[in-house]
Amino acid sequence: MRNRLRFLILLLSAGLTAAACTGADGANAGGDAAGGSYPRAETLFTSGTQWGPPSNWNPIMNWTYATGTVGLLYETLFLYDPLTDEYEPWLAENGDWTNDTTYEVTLREGLTWSDGKPITAEDVVFTVELGKMESVPYHNLWDYLDSAEAVDEHTARFTFGEPRYQQWANWVYFNPIVPKHLWEGKSEKDVTAGANEKPVGSGPYKYETHDQDRQVWVKNDDWWGKDTLDLDVKPRYIVDLVNSSNEAALGQLLAGDIDLSNNFLPGIASLVKGGYKLQTYFPEAPFMLAANTTWMIPNTTKAPLNDAAFRRALASSVDTGKIVNSVYGQIVSAANPTGLLPIWDKYVDQATVDRLGWTFDTGEAKRLLAQAGYRDTDGDGLVENKDGSPLELKLATPSGWTDWNEAARVIAEGAKAAGISVTSETPADTVVQDMRESGEFDLILNNERQMDNTPWRYYEYIFNLPIQDQQTTMNFGRYENQQAWDLVNQLDATKVDDLEGMNKIISRLQQAQLTDVPVIPLWYNGLWSQASNNVWTNWPSAEGGAPAYVPSMWHGYLQRGAIKMLTELRPAEQQ
Amino acid sequence: MGRYFSRKLLIYALTFVVAVTINWLIPRFMPGDPVSAMVARAGLQSPEGVAAMREYYTGLFGFDVPVWQQYLNFWGGLLSGDLGVSLWAFPQPVTSIIMAAVPYTLGLLIPAILLSWWAGNKFGAYAARKKVLDNTVLPIWYVLTATPYMWLAILLAWALGKVAGLFPVGRSFSASLRPDWSWLFISDLISHWFLPFLSLFLVAFGGWAIGMRNLIIYELEADYSHYLGSLGAPSRLVRRYAFRNALLPQVTGLALQLGVIVGGAVVTEIVFDYRGLGYLVLEAIKASDFFLLQGIFLFIVIGVLVANFIIDIVYVLVDPRTRAGMGGGA
Amino acid sequence: MSEVDGSAPEPAAVPGVATVHGTGVRREALYFALRNRKLVGGLAVVVAFLLAAIVGPWFVTEDPLTYVGPPAAGPSGSYWLGTTTFGQDVWAQFLYGLRATFFVGSVAALIAGVIGMVVGFTAGYRGGLVDEVLNMITNVVLVLPVLAVLMIIAAYLEVRSIEVQAVIIGLFSWPWVARAVRAQTLSLRSREFVDLARLSGLPVRRIIFREIAPNMASYLFMVFILLFGGSVLFAATLDFIGLGPTDGISLGLMLNHAKQWSAMNLGLWWWFIPPGLGITVIVGSLYIMNVGLDEVFNPKLREM
Repeated sequence: MRNRLRFLILLLSAGLTAAACTGADGANAGGDAAGGSYPRAETLFTSGTQWGPPSNWNPIMNWTYATGTVGLLYETLFLYDPLTDEYEPWLAENGDWTNDTTYEVTLREGLTWSDGKPITAEDVVFTVELGKMESVPYHNLWDYLDSAEAVDEHTARFTFGEPRYQQWANWVYFNPIVPKHLWEGKSEKDVTAGANEKPVGSGPYKYETHDQDRQVWVKNDDWWGKDTLDLDVKPRYIVDLVNSSNEAALGQLLAGDIDLSNNFLPGIASLVKGGYKLQTYFPEAPFMLAANTTWMIPNTTKAPLNDAAFRRALASSVDTGKIVNSVYGQIVSAANPTGLLPIWDKYVDQATVDRLGWTFDTGEAKRLLAQAGYRDTDGDGLVENKDGSPLELKLATPSGWTDWNEAARVIAEGAKAAGISVTSETPADTVVQDMRESGEFDLILNNERQMDNTPWRYYEYIFNLPIQDQQTTMNFGRYENQQAWDLVNQLDATKVDDLEGMNKIISRLQQAQLTDVPVIPLWYNGLWSQASNNVWTNWPSAEGGAPAYVPSMWHGYLQRGAIKMLTELRPAEQQ
Repeated sequence: MGRYFSRKLLIYALTFVVAVTINWLIPRFMPGDPVSAMVARAGLQSPEGVAAMREYYTGLFGFDVPVWQQYLNFWGGLLSGDLGVSLWAFPQPVTSIIMAAVPYTLGLLIPAILLSWWAGNKFGAYAARKKVLDNTVLPIWYVLTATPYMWLAILLAWALGKVAGLFPVGRSFSASLRPDWSWLFISDLISHWFLPFLSLFLVAFGGWAIGMRNLIIYELEADYSHYLGSLGAPSRLVRRYAFRNALLPQVTGLALQLGVIVGGAVVTEIVFDYRGLGYLVLEAIKASDFFLLQGIFLFIVIGVLVANFIIDIVYVLVDPRTRAGMGGGA
Repeated sequence: MSEVDGSAPEPAAVPGVATVHGTGVRREALYFALRNRKLVGGLAVVVAFLLAAIVGPWFVTEDPLTYVGPPAAGPSGSYWLGTTTFGQDVWAQFLYGLRATFFVGSVAALIAGVIGMVVGFTAGYRGGLVDEVLNMITNVVLVLPVLAVLMIIAAYLEVRSIEVQAVIIGLFSWPWVARAVRAQTLSLRSREFVDLARLSGLPVRRIIFREIAPNMASYLFMVFILLFGGSVLFAATLDFIGLGPTDGISLGLMLNHAKQWSAMNLGLWWWFIPPGLGITVIVGSLYIMNVGLDEVFNPKLREM
């Protein structure tokens, strides 16, 4: 007995001393690199992209690859900066349409893979040709591309049957080039579902190690960009942490253990001013850049949602301001009725919006309902269908998506006030997915279009045709408007620098969208980004003098300019 | 004795079959199809691509054979340690994900269970029939045992971690460390371990102490105690006999409480973001990763069954009646 | 515990559950009950909370999830327990949550109690093969880790309601009751008054309900209390890990929301302390009540 008691005391005191020690270690951890820790002053800790253990480094699997696989390791031909709307040659030195159907890209001199082999036009052609496999995400590229060939070591030429300038401009900045000499023998299964362990890329970082809870990248000292671009990424190590709960990420950010958190952190507005040395892109509301639009999507195949007048009444009933202020604490902003992101402001046809747009107005919603012939026949304060049958709509958001669940409740409340019975339901996320794909829902929320190089991506999402049995990625509301879809394709075939030509088409698309209301844009989701100035400073910010890049490690954002954020970081002053 | 064990083993085997069957059955009756989930994530547009992906995942998850064969395959996989592929951490096998998390959970559970049981019995026996002590500590124990595990965990994390700053809250070890056997790492590990351990320990401790206190009172009121007392045996001796007898039901109680404590560990880990099985449970639920959830469930069931069996053996070893060769029915 | 010990080496190892000794203790029991501080104190607290749960919601907003006040405000005169990050009234949520807690606790306890009693009575009274089979089933369910089973079931339910939650908790919490009731029945069955009844030709059901059940009533009452406490804790745990009702509010859901919206990191202690405290006080009072009852029915335990 005595011994056991002693053991207990020993255990307790061990715990306490250990705690005391970590407290002390925190201060000098930067100094001892040899011990089991990453040198704090040279390491960037990020979080908010990886929701499960890193388990593949396959740039083709662009929905699950480990954070940084594209951007840090594999690189794209161009970068596209959504904040300036400019394409920046990256692996490419330049890329041009030599005539209406031929595109030529020239690679920079002296590019190498991290295994020392040169990067050539063959690699570019090989990567594009991977798209011939049906399960590669950019398979539809080959619907309009006729051939790809390497003209010489540095030049690749693409011949298009039917040029789609917008889509192609998207492809060249979004999709990374993979090394032909290592990928040549891979089967389709390996290409689209393989883990691609020990990846060889061309970028400023190399794979160091990973664990269930982290992905570690180490600086590639032989990166071609150092001399060619005169750029240098500052952190020696990047440790991307798996934090699937936002609360956990917030705790670590406040403790200074995370430098850049791309998590949705409710309440951050009050903490930014609270002496934690935290920073967001804007110092005031909305604090975050707008990354994507959240729409409410009505199922246009079901009555009464098949009635555009009803959809418009529903749109007017939503108190978006309440969602922005109360649910999100002002870290998002209300969407324009077109839903076009702020970076796409130049495409908004304000006259059309003024004429056809709507704002939150319960009275107007009631008026529209009455005008369209929806009446409250049983006196319960809620309207019935035109045939007198009860009208009950369900708005489904995935269980556990707490911000959307809350927003859904606000929407339901607003609809009820206008006389439309909407109830919020929260089935499991896979169930919502099933409903969405098969079209067995009334109303859902969705936000699956990020800020991008072209609003064509946005309109493709809304108007895509033909409707399939399973709508997997776009037009979940099954809205059919052949004319609008033709316009979208016309837009696709417009050159990216032809702003006037684009706007002509987009204005007509906006008319169609605002008249028919196939989606109801609600708010702009933020590009969640909270940076700590404890170890690294000079984070991107809207303030003068600070670098203006998208501050995010999310998939697809490193090639949208975030990679350059890493070259601008500065170590914080050592206390 | 042999009969006793064979009977126990039969029960455990039956339980296991029931658990495996529940486990296999439920997802097949419930909505939400993992194949569609995986295909949807890929964001493919072309119908041919979707079909190809669908076929690939259907085969991968073993849904391309008749149902009875799926059931047999499930058993086959189970017996060879193959619990399928996780969706959350695709394409990692469920078994390896669970194995990576198990040390953390066991590291919390085993010390918490054993120490709370031992300390609870000691203090409970000590406090029984000591009026002042009994009246002061008993309410505390009742409050402890009535506390939801996660709430005590939140309180400790908030008070000792967040406000007082004595212990780190979150993760199993600091993000800046590489796992190795250095003092730096081990001390860090212990400091992250301490609060989750403490909250598990405290709740369980209250239960054991109350149990022991009540049992001791029963024993002290039993005829043999009065008889011993009337013979003039010192009260310390009487209490020692009472303690010995009271230990037996407490051993059985340990078996009964295992499931509850495991549940407590799950929520405690969630509060502290401690990367054991509880954390995986939350992830699996959030990601609708049925395969992982099934794997964890089976793992917990197997763990509880094994622990039960160990307790049975201990029981037989401790029970004076079985030791004397009298044997005992179930 | 003595009878149980005699029949098997597995007494009902649930702390605080004791057996009732003999008949004719009822009047005496009432006398001692009113003088037992543990019983009266515990009961007073539970009744106070029960009243708050029943009456309270009438005095606060109709829907505890609406945004009524300023966001993240601390306790004040107008919002007694402060507000959530959205500006929901924590006090209103607490009252509605109490209601849900009492509902889940009593429904689940009732279901588990009834199943446990039926299985236990039948097994103990019939004996033989029936006993063998029922005992085997009981043992199987007993060994299954309840929370893990509840988790796996709840995770697959498409829409979870508070009623369904109560039912599934009840369906998996009965085995120890069955086991304890079986032991009790075994010992009562061999008592003289049952033999007398049987000799006089009464049917089995009547013997059980007329003769055995009343003798175990007080015991069953204590079982109900323990089941109630256990169910409340199970429900809170499920709610907390995100497997609670998909709509409405409960004390466990309040904790879940507080965690999801980083109440701890944002220092909103008034959001996560009340719900946990409520559960702890209710369940703790029930347990203390139970000790009191035990002392009332079991004279040996009364404080000297």
